Amino acid sequence: MNILETKGLYHDFSGLEVLFDINLEVREGERLALIGPNGAGKTTLFNVITGNYHPSKGRVFFKGKDISRHKPHQLARIGLGRSFQITSTFAKLTTFQNIRQAILSKRGIHFQMLRLLDRMEDITKETDAVLKRINLDGQRDIPAGMLSYGKHRSLEISMALATDPDVIMLDEPTAGMSRDETHTAVELIRRLTEGRTVVIIEHDMDVVFSLADRITVLHYGEILATGPPAEIRENQAVKDAYLGEMEF
Amino acid sequence: MSKWSNWIKWAVIALIAIVFPRVFSLYYTNLFLAFAIFSLYAVTVNLLLGYMGVLSFGHAMFFGTGAYATAIALSRIPGFPLLPSILIGGVAGGLLAVILSPLLVRVSGTAFAMLTLAFGQLIFVLALKFREVTGGEDGVGGYTVPPLHIPGIISINMTNQINFYYFAMAVVVVCLLILWFYTKTPFGSLIVGVRDNALRMDYLGFNLPQTKAINLIVSGAFAGIAGSLNALLLKLVSTVGILDIGTSFTPIMMAYIGGVGSFVGPIVGSAVIHFLETMAIRFTERIGLINGAIFILVVLFAPQGLVGLFNTAKEKWFQKKEKA
Repeated sequence: MNILETKGLYHDFSGLEVLFDINLEVREGERLALIGPNGAGKTTLFNVITGNYHPSKGRVFFKGKDISRHKPHQLARIGLGRSFQITSTFAKLTTFQNIRQAILSKRGIHFQMLRLLDRMEDITKETDAVLKRINLDGQRDIPAGMLSYGKHRSLEISMALATDPDVIMLDEPTAGMSRDETHTAVELIRRLTEGRTVVIIEHDMDVVFSLADRITVLHYGEILATGPPAEIRENQAVKDAYLGEMEF
Repeated sequence: MSKWSNWIKWAVIALIAIVFPRVFSLYYTNLFLAFAIFSLYAVTVNLLLGYMGVLSFGHAMFFGTGAYATAIALSRIPGFPLLPSILIGGVAGGLLAVILSPLLVRVSGTAFAMLTLAFGQLIFVLALKFREVTGGEDGVGGYTVPPLHIPGIISINMTNQINFYYFAMAVVVVCLLILWFYTKTPFGSLIVGVRDNALRMDYLGFNLPQTKAINLIVSGAFAGIAGSLNALLLKLVSTVGILDIGTSFTPIMMAYIGGVGSFVGPIVGSAVIHFLETMAIRFTERIGLINGAIFILVVLFAPQGLVGLFNTAKEKWFQKKEKA
């Protein structure tokens, strides 16, 4: 069953067409990679799906429900989480406080004004458990903005995952990372997304081919091909448009 | 250890507040009370400025609405009791925030500042023109502070200035404690999240307009209570010093001088400004000049305010000690 799909999706920025007739299908429990050259519309597609923009035509379905007009916070509440291409955390808050915000959201604590947050032991415990799982317990009380680049990005991905979404959309999670950091990040993503549906935009082909169950190639706002990694690697159209003569 | 020093600090502050009217003259007692009332007012401004990251240039509308509500209730309704007269100020301030919130929560940054400025001026002009209710430039006066009367338990005469001092001080302290608690609750942490990264909050599943609206209403309601206390202290409410642009600007200045990054910052700022004004008035009438100079100095050399400066100094001091 498709947990997330778009039907005949179009999007334009005041006349400039960015997405044409996108029919994306994401199956429950799979890791789908979205690849394509710069400007292919990958991030725009993410923004349309996650409610940042509304599609100019077509529809988005999540768990069989039309979500084309939903706002980001509504989508987050029904289980669609995302990370950003440019790291988006609470830079002045500590690592602990960052994760804690996500835990509050997961538990649906939105308007609690009668208890001191620091005294809510269960939330502190759960937050610390998450920090341990993502190896950031050593940086617990450091402002997020002071973390190393790799750790900062891991924090953002972990924050998106800490709300316990059914589908998590990662926009270039390893962008700008060193080789070692990329390796650590991929392992982290693999570990944290166990049993979850993942849609990932990625330029690093090593990451794509090691993580993804299926790949969708986007080219000039259109879907060029979709299939398992082996098939995409051999696809002539994809080779011509994007992969070229790259060696794998 | 640190817990003890904290308790001692609070005990000393409480003692000063209690002993103050016994030691100093009535003039200084009322000045001290004005400092306390403006501390509360500045803290409500800081709920928006420091915690949520938006600058309200028209906060006097909440303060003033509260003051007018109390003054009008007391002068129009004979025998209007004391506690409801303060409550009505809070309700009026909160209600104004409820009315404006659909517009205000949709903007931030400069747009928020300009919109609050515009609404603040609108309320100011309304108060001037709507003479039948507000008395125009003459304002509303001629009321006395009703006694604190709880049937069967207590009845205290509030026309006695010292009694009123203790009562108003208690209200301010209770309000400050409530607001301090408020900033430490899960909801308080969401407000800070909105300041730091609104987009992230949205994608974490928090409803931004709702969150911002509630904080705005809390801020407006407590500013209304501060205005209400001010009305009781002055026994005359007119636009000057209650609704004008200066009244919006003073708490911002207090918050910046004390430091917007902490809860006590605006209180420290209020203390500094009131102290300076008291000193300066002996030598010159141009108090604005001195306040302005201090404001500029703080913004230039201590952007985190005096509390931030103190914390940095403390950190450095302890680092040195550790090294030695």
